[in-house]
Amino acid sequence: MTSTPPVIALSLQGVCKRFGAVQALQDVSFECRAGEIHAVVGENGSGKSTLLGIASGFLVPDEGSVEIGGVRLHTGHAAEAHQLGLTMAYQTYSHILDLSVAENLYLAAPVAERPTFRSMDGWAEGKLREYDVHVAPTARIGGLPLGLRQFLEVVKALLSSPKVLLLDEPTTALGPGEVEHLHSIVLDRAATGVGIVYVSHRLPEVLEVAGRVTVLRDGQSQGTHRAAEMSEETLVSLMIGRPMELAFPDRAGAATERDVLLRVSQFSAPRFGPLDLTLRKGEILGLAGAEGNGQHELLRSLAGVERAAGSVECNGAKVDLRSPFGALRSGIMLLSGDRTRESLFPVLGIRSNATIQVLRRFSKLGWLWRGRERTEVERLVERLKVRTPSIEQPVRFLSGGNQQKVCLTRPFLRDVHVLLADEPTQGVDVASRFDIYKALRAKADQGVAMIVKSSDPIELSGLCDRVIVISRGRIIDEIQAEDLNERRIIEGIVHSRRRAPVQAEQAARA
Amino acid sequence: MPEPAAGIAAPVRPVRRVPGWLPVAMMGLLMFGIGAYAASRSADFLSQFNLNTLLGSSGALPLALVAMGQACALMVGGFDISVGALMTFVVVVGSYLLAASYAWYQLLPASLALLGIGLVVGLVNAGLIRRLRLPSIIATLATLSVLQGLSLKLRPVPGGEINFDVTQWLNKSWGFVPVAFVAVVVLAILGDLWLYRTRSGLTVRAVGLDESSSRRLGAPSERVNWGAFVASSLLASLAGFFLAAQVGIGDARVGSSYALTSIAAAVLGGSSLAGGRGSFVGAVIGALFLSLIINILPLPNILPGFLREWSDALPLISIGALTLLALVVYQGPDLWARLRAGWANIFGSRTSRAAARS
Repeated sequence: MTSTPPVIALSLQGVCKRFGAVQALQDVSFECRAGEIHAVVGENGSGKSTLLGIASGFLVPDEGSVEIGGVRLHTGHAAEAHQLGLTMAYQTYSHILDLSVAENLYLAAPVAERPTFRSMDGWAEGKLREYDVHVAPTARIGGLPLGLRQFLEVVKALLSSPKVLLLDEPTTALGPGEVEHLHSIVLDRAATGVGIVYVSHRLPEVLEVAGRVTVLRDGQSQGTHRAAEMSEETLVSLMIGRPMELAFPDRAGAATERDVLLRVSQFSAPRFGPLDLTLRKGEILGLAGAEGNGQHELLRSLAGVERAAGSVECNGAKVDLRSPFGALRSGIMLLSGDRTRESLFPVLGIRSNATIQVLRRFSKLGWLWRGRERTEVERLVERLKVRTPSIEQPVRFLSGGNQQKVCLTRPFLRDVHVLLADEPTQGVDVASRFDIYKALRAKADQGVAMIVKSSDPIELSGLCDRVIVISRGRIIDEIQAEDLNERRIIEGIVHSRRRAPVQAEQAARA
Repeated sequence: MPEPAAGIAAPVRPVRRVPGWLPVAMMGLLMFGIGAYAASRSADFLSQFNLNTLLGSSGALPLALVAMGQACALMVGGFDISVGALMTFVVVVGSYLLAASYAWYQLLPASLALLGIGLVVGLVNAGLIRRLRLPSIIATLATLSVLQGLSLKLRPVPGGEINFDVTQWLNKSWGFVPVAFVAVVVLAILGDLWLYRTRSGLTVRAVGLDESSSRRLGAPSERVNWGAFVASSLLASLAGFFLAAQVGIGDARVGSSYALTSIAAAVLGGSSLAGGRGSFVGAVIGALFLSLIINILPLPNILPGFLREWSDALPLISIGALTLLALVVYQGPDLWARLRAGWANIFGSRTSRAAARS
């Protein structure tokens, strides 16, 4: 039987995109046929979001072209992509929280299909029933739980009857039943000839729903494969493997016998938990998981930056987590992932940035003792290999790696029991990474316990003594030192759904 | 728990919010009370002349117009500080273009030119804010300064009479009610119907509430923002006409108080500083309320004896205090929600406690 060639709903040809020093996409070509669900998988930072951004017209590629339904898109024109029949459900949503469900749906519907303003609520109710969503159209979206908001994001994208639908991580906040419901809707739409691009970290869900899968790794396509011929293992093999080999400092080993330093119990906030954690002296615990599953919030809550319920004990004493100050008093310190905004004073020099929390140490009767401050900072700058002409250099003129080292001087200047590092090597050059790993390990060897949140599994496997995997705000996997490698961590992240029942059991017990 | 594949449902927590009519109703009640008090203390208050002054170009009228303009800027989350200086500039330029000796065929294009000034200033403001990405406060503060300087150059000392026919026409009244005041009220009602009962009004509010989300939904956020600042300046230049009718002479110092009072009136009428909320009727009522306070304080017997020597200072003080009070009261539910969220985070919310028990 000779079949007619499939209709191409969306095609990207030879797309390249560079952000500063990072090559986000390198000559990627991608095709989504009408009526197929085409999954895109890859690690954090492999270029999935960039791919969607270019397809939807929000990003302008450096090279390459985009066609929607056979029509060439003037890249960078989001409105034009929309007119050509492409809509997108955003990972971060596009809801206007202060408006009602009906008003949000109304704004998302194409102008020609909007009913009169007066009949909006009735119309919205009909649409919600069509998608089997039970919520009052007059409810304010900001008052709805995250799962429902995420679902409504997809409903909104479907309202304009698109020819191409981009779904960016559409299930991060959904429970198993809800995922199934979403998939049935998506499959229905595909059957009517819509081309669907499905970006997700959850390989079981991807294999369940997708016809074909394209794998991205470091901005390069690892080919498009038929989902039926793939297993989670083969997909993982395509996702991992990085040309760059990194060196890591030696582990101290045998952390399991040491004293427990940090005890976290029934810790919860809207984005995570409740979860329990124990951390031993000198242990480096890795926090893995797909972006946006609550790891970031967990770390910040432990530092008192965001609020959470539950109890945290450090060194046997209860920690006052109502403010970062309370956490610091108990010896818990956060190295923020957003260094220039949250950690550093960019216009101040290295010396001021290093000592700003501990000025009391260098002062007498309210007067600073500059000389002692200077010698101490100079010693640390040398030890941490901060490359700078002088310790008075404003830190905004330093590279990302050197800025991070400046942040790292702080735990060396005061008593710290627990160090929380959020993406410690993001935006850091390879040469500086080893220095940072060494500094972290040195601190651990002094008995400091550490939690490192990272989206880089190689980093986690090289640096940490133990790694836990977070999905939907819960701990779904724990990997001990002897099993630690990149592949094992990625398997933990992408196999999230299979382990979900274990979690449900834990929740039931709690 | 939702049953698998049987759709998706969720409990919805009712959200407490200040309903849109509350500021207007509160203002109305307060005004009634203050009016009754003033009437009981001073026979002058309810005189035809005083009521006409209160509503007309010497009272609420210019403030109502400029407050409606300010409500537009606040609607998109911005401030327009330049409105007062623009009103002054219109008065000063008007003292040349609307000269006493001119006939109607000269006055008409002159009036259009004055509105044109508003248009140009609005476009400049919007361009500074949207193209150069300057904060609206700073951008309009800069245009304020430029306009103020130009006004002082044109009229270093007050002079140049405004055409009497124009003044009279603007001050025309039915009984004690100025015609223009009725027109402003009608304009405000139409404006609110547009804002809350039409598609484009919803789009404008959506852009004001959350610009990045509404842009993802395809709303023309750029056009809405430009429109807001142009509308603000246009309404301010219109207010300038009534200010001109009030003072009757080219004076470079007349409009400076309107930057604050316009914001105060709009906020009293329910505008949110964060954007997306507010109403034109509210702005007019807010303006009326402030004018009432300014109107009655100098009347004899209104203030208790020990406050009499404060009667010049009290209008300004009370405007500031009322603005702060309005901001706190209207944000009450948000403050309350924030407090409750903080509380729930520390001690657990009712739902999470229930979940933990089950």
